[in-house]
Amino acid sequence: MSASVTADSHSTHVPHDSHGHGKPGIMHYLWNTDHKMIAMQFLLSACFFLLFGGAMALAMRWQLAFPGHSIPVIGHLLPHGIVNDEGAIIPSGYNVLVTMHGTILVFWVVMPLLIGVFGNFLIPLKIGAGDMAFPALNELSYWLFALSGVIVLSSFWVPGGAPGTGWTAYAPLSSVAAYNQTPIGQSLWCIAIFINGLSSLTGAVNYITTVITMRAPGMKMMRMPLPVWAIFLTAILLILAIPVLSAAAAMIVFDLNFGTTFFRPSGYGQPLLWQHLFWFFGHPEVYILILPAMGLTSEILAVFSRKPVFGYKAMVWAMIAIGLLGFIVWGHHMYVSGMNLTLSAAFSVSTMVIAVPSAIKTFNWMGTIWRGSIHYTVPMAFAVAFVSMFVIGGLSGIFMASTPVDLFVHHTYFIVAHFHYVLFGGSMFAAFAAVYFWFPKMSGRMFNNTLGWIHFWMTFVFFNLTFFPMHNLGLGGMMRRIADPTVYDCLKQLQPLNVVCTIGAMGLGLATIPFVINMLWSSRNGPKAPANPWNSTTLEWTVSHPIPHGNFTVTPTVYHGPYEYSVPGLVRDFLPQDEKAPAHITLEAH
Amino acid sequence: MIKTISRDILNKRTASLFLTTGVFLASILSAGVASAEERSGNVYGLPPCVTTTGLQVDSIIKIIFWLTALVFVLTQGTYIYYLIRYRRREGVPAHYSHGNNTLEIIWTTAPTIVFLALAIYSNRIWEQIHVTAPENSLTIDVSSYQFGWQMRYPGISGKLAPMDVRKITPQNPFGTDPENPATAQDVICTDLVIPVGRPVHVLLHSRDVIHSFYVPEFRIYQDCVPGRTIGWVWFQATQTGDFQLACNQLCGTGHYNMKAPIHIVSEAEFQKWLTPRQQKNAALVQPSPIAAPSPAKAASLTDRTEKNTL
Amino acid sequence: MNNASYNDSSLFHAALPVEDHRQDHHAAPPTSPAICKLGMCIFLCSEALLFSGLISAYLILRQGAGSWPPNFGDGIELPPMPKLLTGINTVILVGSSFAYHFAEMAVKKGKSGAGWLLLAAMMGATFVGLQCVEWTELYHEGLWFNKGGVYGSSFFTLTGFHGAHVCIGVLLILWCFFLQVTKGTFTPHRHVALDNVGLYWHFVDVVWVFLYTILYLDRKSVV
Ligand code: HEA
Ligand code: HEA
Ligand code: CUA
Ligand SMILES: [Cu+2]
Repeated sequence: MSASVTADSHSTHVPHDSHGHGKPGIMHYLWNTDHKMIAMQFLLSACFFLLFGGAMALAMRWQLAFPGHSIPVIGHLLPHGIVNDEGAIIPSGYNVLVTMHGTILVFWVVMPLLIGVFGNFLIPLKIGAGDMAFPALNELSYWLFALSGVIVLSSFWVPGGAPGTGWTAYAPLSSVAAYNQTPIGQSLWCIAIFINGLSSLTGAVNYITTVITMRAPGMKMMRMPLPVWAIFLTAILLILAIPVLSAAAAMIVFDLNFGTTFFRPSGYGQPLLWQHLFWFFGHPEVYILILPAMGLTSEILAVFSRKPVFGYKAMVWAMIAIGLLGFIVWGHHMYVSGMNLTLSAAFSVSTMVIAVPSAIKTFNWMGTIWRGSIHYTVPMAFAVAFVSMFVIGGLSGIFMASTPVDLFVHHTYFIVAHFHYVLFGGSMFAAFAAVYFWFPKMSGRMFNNTLGWIHFWMTFVFFNLTFFPMHNLGLGGMMRRIADPTVYDCLKQLQPLNVVCTIGAMGLGLATIPFVINMLWSSRNGPKAPANPWNSTTLEWTVSHPIPHGNFTVTPTVYHGPYEYSVPGLVRDFLPQDEKAPAHITLEAH
Repeated sequence: MIKTISRDILNKRTASLFLTTGVFLASILSAGVASAEERSGNVYGLPPCVTTTGLQVDSIIKIIFWLTALVFVLTQGTYIYYLIRYRRREGVPAHYSHGNNTLEIIWTTAPTIVFLALAIYSNRIWEQIHVTAPENSLTIDVSSYQFGWQMRYPGISGKLAPMDVRKITPQNPFGTDPENPATAQDVICTDLVIPVGRPVHVLLHSRDVIHSFYVPEFRIYQDCVPGRTIGWVWFQATQTGDFQLACNQLCGTGHYNMKAPIHIVSEAEFQKWLTPRQQKNAALVQPSPIAAPSPAKAASLTDRTEKNTL
Repeated sequence: MNNASYNDSSLFHAALPVEDHRQDHHAAPPTSPAICKLGMCIFLCSEALLFSGLISAYLILRQGAGSWPPNFGDGIELPPMPKLLTGINTVILVGSSFAYHFAEMAVKKGKSGAGWLLLAAMMGATFVGLQCVEWTELYHEGLWFNKGGVYGSSFFTLTGFHGAHVCIGVLLILWCFFLQVTKGTFTPHRHVALDNVGLYWHFVDVVWVFLYTILYLDRKSVV
């Protein structure tokens, strides 16, 4: 077992703690080019935004269940652009909440969580590199992210308040001050998105370069752990998708402030141009949000089933296919937008086709647990639930992919149900799984199991309680982004369902409490974790805590693929990647 | 490490048990919810359907519903079975396997076939829904603005006065030509009144931002895009009743309340409603023999409609 | 495969003299030039997509406007794009790419190349200057971000985005120039920053050739 270090051997190598020289001062936390530290910065920021964006969702849910009733306790504390004197949400305030909730959760929670945290933390460790290719650029990426976060939050306090145009910011509502009444807030939104994009791009340059050039000897591409593959492909999608959004966001800023007419018909601008640019980015974006989740889950399922990932190559090719096809399906968000009807039909075909690689992945996940020795832990529970929830979300996607069905369900709560199943049940569940799974490596301590299980069960049950009924609301005809469903006669009878969703949402909010306590408490007081608590095979588990700057004392050599579990004839049921299989054992080709 | 693992063995059984109950809980819940909300006797919770095209939409919703329900039950069933069946047991090692290429081929081709079939079928219905509106259809100009609706019905001549989307201003909300005598004959109102059984062709316009024409009971959604005429939406109501037209595209502060009443009435009632209004307008202006739309104007309307189809 | 080694080099810092990185015993050799160049190429891919987004927006708007310059029916004649002046400007910008290339050749041969660098920067600056002249003229002819509808909007936004890139490029070249003049940073064996700035500069030039073609030359534009 070459570079693998046991729990107490790190005393032999006292790390020269980073470039901070001497005692870690405040600068150590603020400007630190170590990829593990940057991952922690992203983690803390994303958790802050999760609470913030989630709290906005809870406020929205309150309004939807009890329209016009003041929010108990905190209603009066909310700013006046959002609530009235009684502390009840006003319609324009509701629009702001929807917009900021969607924007923040997509750009400031899920992206940093899955890409910022796990991209940074795992890529160098998993491929046997000392750090990222461009560590300074990496830290720059975090600070651009932080800056964009400050800007997007600051829009709450400018005259006119935060924008209320939806996370999709459809023009000309977003691009004409007279229509949205929040030109400053909307401009800040665009600028924040632009800077957030720069952060993603600098990160992506780093990930791609690192994966291509800094793999340890023997770490062939087809021996890379799936999370690395996933984040690598995600980074490519970022490079190709983000700049288009940046260009479009710039056009909105120009329309708002310099009098250009990109989206204004009076100057022969075209409202649909925005939608094309936005969704050209937007659809790859949703795969940007799910690919890392798929990679992380695949690995966790394999570890706790004590089995190699079923169909490793198929998994990789499926992700590549998702990445490629993701760029030709954007029109499925625009079937009924006024786009050419034949185009809609074409996009419908490509959308159906893109479900195929997801199907391949689903079946391979099932293949992975098949005849395994499934070991239930908190991260495994989240990973298992991920698969179920992703399938539910994916299946509702099939409804909308069909053009005539979308004619009815477009922009209803059916869509809201769909994307929360894939975004929360998918991306967020995977993020939770991964946070628990790598917690011992990140903090050097074990998390508290009981709190973990409470968190899992509450999240799982309340998640379904919140979002499943939304399918029915949508099929019942309830529109998205309306502050008060009771103004429509046909929706009044659906109101009990809205109450159910809201109860679920409150439960989801409570579910985060054991999570937050667990993370904060266990990272200081949890029992010390061994170097490899889950008996995993990948390289990050060969280094001990605290992981020294530069990660590996000796550059590891990789001898085989990432998931050699339960190889017959071995004493242990796992064979680390940097350990040669004994001569008499032949590993099955994957 | 030993400690964690033994704790996990304890968790093992309960976990699989809970997981099962959890997933079933979700499905039972949904079934319960769905039946509680059962409307007009269907299990899908759909509102009643009152257009002919809507019936086609419903038919494909049903197909996909049962298809996905089947896939759901099969995949989740197998999955839960595996989760329980293959939970960790003393002395039973996991099976060492990196996959199976035959299986990969099967589960790649099978969904591909299903999905392509679905795409072809969907698009066939899509085409049927969007054939050109029949000759005898009643044409109504539906104009949306922050935050309301206005409808324009043809005057006594039976033809809408020509309009040009570029001419739409707050003073001229329909973009019609004020010089044209036909303009004054148009019947303008805020309710959408529709005769049952006759095809209705709506021309969708917007004066400011994107709004949308959404009527759940019609199974129709279509955005109204400023600067354009959306001219492909038509439907034929199958029963009378009162419904609501909803704007279903975020369009600003008043979006949530941007609605208009819809009345589907019998042909006779419809004439009773429309004719007096047409006659009133006709009486206001001296009907002129050259009321026919100038060809140039008519051309400019079609021009814009086609040019902007991105 | 460069692994367990790491340092704080970024895209540009990698080329600084090694001494700069040796402040603590801990630092490893700078990130290898090949890696730095790869990083730059990936970054340029995203830049390419940025301009693709802008260009496709332009093409869509142009398509939808019917005629180009569009006819708003208000009797105002929109000015045509000055093909000739900009043509000369294009030659200057492309020429500066060559100058830059000669600088790189010189450095690889062990010479300073600073003169070529300065020439490249000056040609880039001239391009920006002429572009400003053109902007002012068009402004006086009634075209601006907020005048001439999408015709003005797209022209000024596209050339504006590109102009900003040229400005950054000129600054980067000047930075290389000063490094070379004051410290003699670039030697036949160490010239990553020079290469990377070069990649960027050539990229910006190529983008301009596209922009010139579609904004000025395209048949449909009025002479
Ligand atoms: C992580 C994010 C994510 C993911 C992975 C997906 C995945 C998919 N999405 Fe989703 N989508 C969103 C996030 C996501 N989506 C968001 C955020 C929106 C709304 C944006 C907004 O308007 O605000 C949206 C909206 C959206 C629309 C537009 C709806 C509308 O506005 O009218 C459509 C339409 O086609 C669609 C389709 C699909 C499809 C077909 C998939 C497929 O990839 C799913 C494939 C998976 C499966 C199908 C399940 C597993 C497969 C099997 C078990 C095999 C067997 C199955 C069968 C034979 C049926 N999505
Ligand atoms: C990953 C993405 C993500 C996640 C995790 C969520 C999470 C949730 N979303 Fe999300 N949602 C979106 C992405 C996401 N959403 C997007 C993209 C939209 C579309 C926006 C648009 O239309 O433009 C949307 C829209 C949307 C709507 C539709 C609104 C409308 O159209 O009118 C609703 C309605 O119920 C909703 C509800 C919820 C709820 C209840 C949660 C819950 O899961 C939240 C659970 C709560 C927490 C996790 C927070 C816990 C906080 C506390 C306990 C308080 C402590 C507070 C502090 C310390 C500050 N969301
Ligand atoms: Cu009009 Cu919403
Ligand atoms: Cu999509």
